[in-house]
Amino acid sequence: MPSRRRTLLKVIILGDSGVGKTSLMNQYVNKKFSNQYKATIGADFLTKEMQFEDRLFTLQIWDTAGQERFQSLGVAFYRGADCCVLVHDVNVMKSFDNLNNWREEFLIQASPSDPENFPFVVIGNKIDVDGGNSRVVSEKKARAWCASKGNIPYFETSAKEGVNVEEAFQCIAKNALKSGEEEEIYLPDTIDVASSSQRRSTGCEC
Amino acid sequence: MKGVFSAPGDYIYFKSQVPLHKIPIGSKQWRYYDFGPKIVSPLICLPGTAGTADVFYKQIMALSSKGYRVISVDIPRVWNHHEWIQAFEKFLDAIDVHHVHLYGTSLGGFLAQLFAQHRPRRVRSLVLSNSFLETRNFAAAMPWAPVVGWTPSFLLKRFVLMGIPNGPHEPFIADSVDFVVSQVETLSKDDLASRLTLTADAASVGPVLLSDSFITIMDTNDYCATPQQLKDEVSERYPGARQAYLKTGGDFPFLSRPDEVNLHLQLHLRRVGVEARPDLVRATSKDASDSGGGSSSEPNNDRREDGDDAPKDDRAITPPESPDPPPASESPDSHHSDCHLENSEGTTSAYYLTTLFLHAFFKKEQYSIANYIFLRSTWGFCFLHLLHVYMGTLYID
Repeated sequence: MPSRRRTLLKVIILGDSGVGKTSLMNQYVNKKFSNQYKATIGADFLTKEMQFEDRLFTLQIWDTAGQERFQSLGVAFYRGADCCVLVHDVNVMKSFDNLNNWREEFLIQASPSDPENFPFVVIGNKIDVDGGNSRVVSEKKARAWCASKGNIPYFETSAKEGVNVEEAFQCIAKNALKSGEEEEIYLPDTIDVASSSQRRSTGCEC
Repeated sequence: MKGVFSAPGDYIYFKSQVPLHKIPIGSKQWRYYDFGPKIVSPLICLPGTAGTADVFYKQIMALSSKGYRVISVDIPRVWNHHEWIQAFEKFLDAIDVHHVHLYGTSLGGFLAQLFAQHRPRRVRSLVLSNSFLETRNFAAAMPWAPVVGWTPSFLLKRFVLMGIPNGPHEPFIADSVDFVVSQVETLSKDDLASRLTLTADAASVGPVLLSDSFITIMDTNDYCATPQQLKDEVSERYPGARQAYLKTGGDFPFLSRPDEVNLHLQLHLRRVGVEARPDLVRATSKDASDSGGGSSSEPNNDRREDGDDAPKDDRAITPPESPDPPPASESPDSHHSDCHLENSEGTTSAYYLTTLFLHAFFKKEQYSIANYIFLRSTWGFCFLHLLHVYMGTLYID
């Protein structure tokens, strides 16, 4: 009866302040980059229509504040996320170390139904800085961490140059789509009566 | 057959904190809430056909505590769209507000767009939720709009049960529907008749002078009474608008998904340049929760919803200025018109009728509905006439 609904996918981008979350989103959605740094207050989002395997869907990308003091909008935007992107700056070790904290924080706030298999994607941004010479987080190290957390896909990007951004988001969309489709149907909790009545007393036979 | 509806705790707290205003402006009676610092440019919430000013109570509480001014109105008893535009303009003049931001759901969104089209200087921004651009579809489905007040509830209920989507409803959505139904019980027959007439009155939104960047479209992506095709038309009309889709939420996301809706409203207001004034929100919440006994649920709700790290000072709301007559009693009886008998039939039936029309239009059952209505309306006439005669015989000279 209802006409075809579009599929809506929700993606959250998390990471320390200054790693390039807003720039990544801007590069992907608007194909623009600005050198000027402006801290995101609370959160903001952009939507992009995507095509994947002959299907159209809408990607709603949430960009969050990395700085604690700007988290004034609460955590309502975590709900219903289909994929979470963890971003760090390959030139700042601390931002890589904090990935674990961001991952934990997300799992607590969003409470996905299947935390073990929730799709994450890790992005190592700013590979263009200084021609790659000021890099402190090696690709091997990052990939090892990702593998240890359930084979999380890893991408190295430069939001400024536009390197690998499109590919990263294609993967994000693919993972989000997989997870999103499993959440479609609402089923109320049911009590299984059959299994509890199967136990028969071993004593009396009559 | 309807169980007793117990109001949610936070709604009770809302009623105890926020005064209801009722003022006559011209020939129209206006019923509204106005909360938050007066110097902030207000967000005015316009409900749908089945809604009242109360359905936005969660928005009023949350946004006013953040320093925004929120006004929520009942759609007054207007019968066509020109009346609406004039009445709303007079209302804004009466409460001394010049520039407004409008948040409208369904019919409310349609009325907001009309006002923005005809009074562009007053509307700063729009938030449209599950709305539409023209009433042609609804007008075609309701050729019998004049006899709206005569419909019997039990027959309509049968049709409505066919219209409700199969399968279980998620609890928050079910609660939101319950709340709106309870609000509809408070409406008079004439109020509902006027809203249905507004929905059926053929009109469409022309070019709106507002730039797309000042428009946010907040549709829910699961089921709702407004057909997807009409919602898509809105998105196509404002391609540059911010698309704040909610994955789920049903017809009343402001009740079933309040924190997401509040978040989007805050992001919208921030984007269009409304500066919140949390410093003007004074502290009386401590007193309120003490005196209110068990009604401290609302501050807790706020905190839970926000998960705020920022220090939460004692906040509450500035006492409202009342140039108007003192707020009238807030009991539902205030809505009932003279004939209670007529009313209870009319209100329930009219809500069901609303949902019915919007769903049944697409099932093409309007003809069977018309038959039942006319049959029943004849009975109604006879019964009421006989009742009148009977009452007359009771008087002893």
